[in-house]
Amino acid sequence: LKAGEAERATAGEDVAVDYSTIEKSLAQLWRSENEQAEGAVIRAALWNVVAHTSSPALQTHAAETLSKAAVLVPQRTIVIRSEPDSQSEMTAWISANCHMLGGKKQVCSEEVTIVAGGDHIHQVAPLVSALLLPDMPVAMWWVGDLPNEHEAYIETLLESADRLIVDSSYFDRAADFALVARIARQTATAPADLNWVRLEEWRMATAALFDPANVRARLRGIRKVSITAVAGENAFGDATEAFLYAAWLSAQLGHNVSDEGKVEGAAGPIGHELRVEKRDQRSGSLAEIAILFDDGSTATLLRDEDRQVINTSIDGATQTFDLVTRMQSRRIDDLIVRQLKRVHADPVFMKVLPIVSRIAGGFAA
Amino acid sequence: LIEPESNPLREGLEQERVPDSSCLVIFGASGDLTMRKLLPGLYSLAHDGLLPSGQSIIGVARTEYTDDQFRAAMKDACNKFARRRPVDDAIWENFAKGLFYVQGSFDDPDAYERVKKKAEECDRDRGAGGRRIYYLAVAPSFFSVVSEMLAKSEMVNDPETDAPYTRAIIEKPFGRDLASARELNKIVVHTFRERQVFRIDHYLGKETVQNLLVLRFGNGIFEPFWNRQYIDHVQLTVAETVGVENRAGYFETSGIARDIVQNHLLQLVSLVAMEPPVEFEANAVRDEKVKVLKALREFPKGCDDTVAVRGQYVEGSVLGEKSAAYRKEPNVNPQSDVDTYAAMKVFIDNWRWADVPFYLRAGKRMPKRVTDISIHFRTAPYPLFQKSGVKIHANVLAIRIQPDEGISLKFDSKVPGPSLKTAPVTMEFRYATSFGAEPPEAYERLLLETMLGDSTLFARRDEVETAWEWIDPLLQCWESDTKNEPHFYPAGSWGPEAADQLLERDGRRWRRP
Repeated sequence: LKAGEAERATAGEDVAVDYSTIEKSLAQLWRSENEQAEGAVIRAALWNVVAHTSSPALQTHAAETLSKAAVLVPQRTIVIRSEPDSQSEMTAWISANCHMLGGKKQVCSEEVTIVAGGDHIHQVAPLVSALLLPDMPVAMWWVGDLPNEHEAYIETLLESADRLIVDSSYFDRAADFALVARIARQTATAPADLNWVRLEEWRMATAALFDPANVRARLRGIRKVSITAVAGENAFGDATEAFLYAAWLSAQLGHNVSDEGKVEGAAGPIGHELRVEKRDQRSGSLAEIAILFDDGSTATLLRDEDRQVINTSIDGATQTFDLVTRMQSRRIDDLIVRQLKRVHADPVFMKVLPIVSRIAGGFAA
Repeated sequence: LIEPESNPLREGLEQERVPDSSCLVIFGASGDLTMRKLLPGLYSLAHDGLLPSGQSIIGVARTEYTDDQFRAAMKDACNKFARRRPVDDAIWENFAKGLFYVQGSFDDPDAYERVKKKAEECDRDRGAGGRRIYYLAVAPSFFSVVSEMLAKSEMVNDPETDAPYTRAIIEKPFGRDLASARELNKIVVHTFRERQVFRIDHYLGKETVQNLLVLRFGNGIFEPFWNRQYIDHVQLTVAETVGVENRAGYFETSGIARDIVQNHLLQLVSLVAMEPPVEFEANAVRDEKVKVLKALREFPKGCDDTVAVRGQYVEGSVLGEKSAAYRKEPNVNPQSDVDTYAAMKVFIDNWRWADVPFYLRAGKRMPKRVTDISIHFRTAPYPLFQKSGVKIHANVLAIRIQPDEGISLKFDSKVPGPSLKTAPVTMEFRYATSFGAEPPEAYERLLLETMLGDSTLFARRDEVETAWEWIDPLLQCWESDTKNEPHFYPAGSWGPEAADQLLERDGRRWRRP
């Protein structure tokens, strides 16, 4: 590093380095910083997070998101921009994400950016592999939709990944879910979905509704599930949260889901109704769920956008309480943090994955 | 208790364990503990979706409040003290629907009738199902009357029957000596069975204290070294910067050994020294802790400074502020001999710890607020580098309970260069750096565990009594020693010289935490 570059890097600025000496430049950065700050800088990392992007806009989005996430989950961040159709070259930058801890010490995480074009994209995977911190798990965040025709490219990048983070709200076809399910089945990489994290508040609200034993008994008699999602630009992507919800209910209640997406419960077939409506709410997110039981009663979960809560109620003869569940932040950095705070793969999501591709396929058909 | 498998939709959620709704009755509802800890803790649990739907809370105290006035006062308290603050109106509105107040004195049978009626309304209207938790947030002198009145009013179910559960939470101090602790326990178990009683030592609700068990029994590398073969000695420090504040009345009759050593410090000692339990279950864990307390070596006769030192602060300065002597604090006897500092050398006479000293100290008006455990390992068996003039330091594993929670390991490393020089370096883990988010308050965890019926993090009767049995002779000796005053130390120092000598005689010194 040249004079002044270490300070620029720890101030969050990108400093260009030769891609063959990234690790050496990082070591130089910390040595220089420790000399100046007299040991007041702590380097921390719990994860290696590799963000894969395919455009300058997504690269900026990924870098900004992970620099915020690194405050709560310290990580070595590696942002890749891979553009097979661009000029064949490779460039790299380093910087540091630092924040004060208790007003005394500065906690810093490293960020490496690699931009590869043309044939150089095939050099990315081995370079990333060399840059991973040992003994720390690796999360690969695939920013945007999965590439429909380049499965082999994904697999190479995933070789060292413990977790693949996708956001199914970007998906454009049921086969994307099937690909993720295949990765779960055939590789050691555990998939995770930011849309699944978004669903957590709806799962919490639904679960709380069925905590009292007398209400829980009705789970056996579900006849119909109606889900309303808010429409946006991507018709398939806007429905994915609803698909995940329906698949989750079926996975947890032991429903039989056919390859065509038909659902059968203990009391017979279960109808699914999905509406994607234009509303004055964030697109893609769920707005309303109604679960109809065989005794004629209905459980309702309704998003109150103004108060940022989900109101839950259930009618029928038995005693119940209205519930209020706080909606959680949907900022991508918060979703990434919640995902990374989970040390192991989510077994419930693993159960849901094969079912959601069938349910999504049924609706798409 | 709703097991995850009984509500399949709970699987995988952070809120996997949500108790059945119940009626929590807080005696002493207008007091400091309720305002600062209990209601803010319950509200934060509700905010995080950890309280069951329909949970009811009835406050009982002498203060005149209507339900609405009580709710307003509690909302103010939550706005000041809850971890999840400011209060979220949507959550509060729903939470407050289950909040009620009954005015009355603790010896008034009519007040209990009103509480009973209100609780039955909660059964009918809010699904409390006859489940009761009585929180005695009152001075121990009221334990007797409250538990007797509860029994007389037929508000306590026998756990041996199929009736819904009744539980009682009581707060320290659990007595001021062995006799009073036994008396107190007798009173409590006259009304409740032992397994219905949850004795709160809030240290056990702290994440870092629970992490002690994970550190020791969840990792393969520590336990093989966790014994007399590798450990030279152990130090435990509980230091406070504050003096007696507004607790002079209580502190004058207790002192720091009763206030901190008998409970918090001995809880830490037992967690550091216990054998692995056969399972992570309340009685299995507590059985092992009691074994440690039973193995504590008795104090020798006489108040010998070579074993235990009591101190009291005199004028000084703490964190840059002038500080008065203890004897000049408001409501303190100007001739008081009460200990504001205690240090002791303790041995655990069992196979694992034979002859390994545990040095304990607790003090008020110390330079900083810190609770810290340090495990000092033996030095390398052969001084390989001695000829090079290299000084070998002992490895130290330090566990910081509060604040700045974390663990560090000190070891020697070669200083880069042509000659062989070494320097001690540390590897550090800090909760704040690695996990970011603030941990839940100890009371939140303990309230939730009570609702779930898990008493692992609560003190059992025999733990309390065994701890008193061990420390009582020392306390009696100090109290009867009218010839010697406590060792004085300036406020803002790490305690009296006699405490330093306690270790110096063994060729050791206190670690600066």
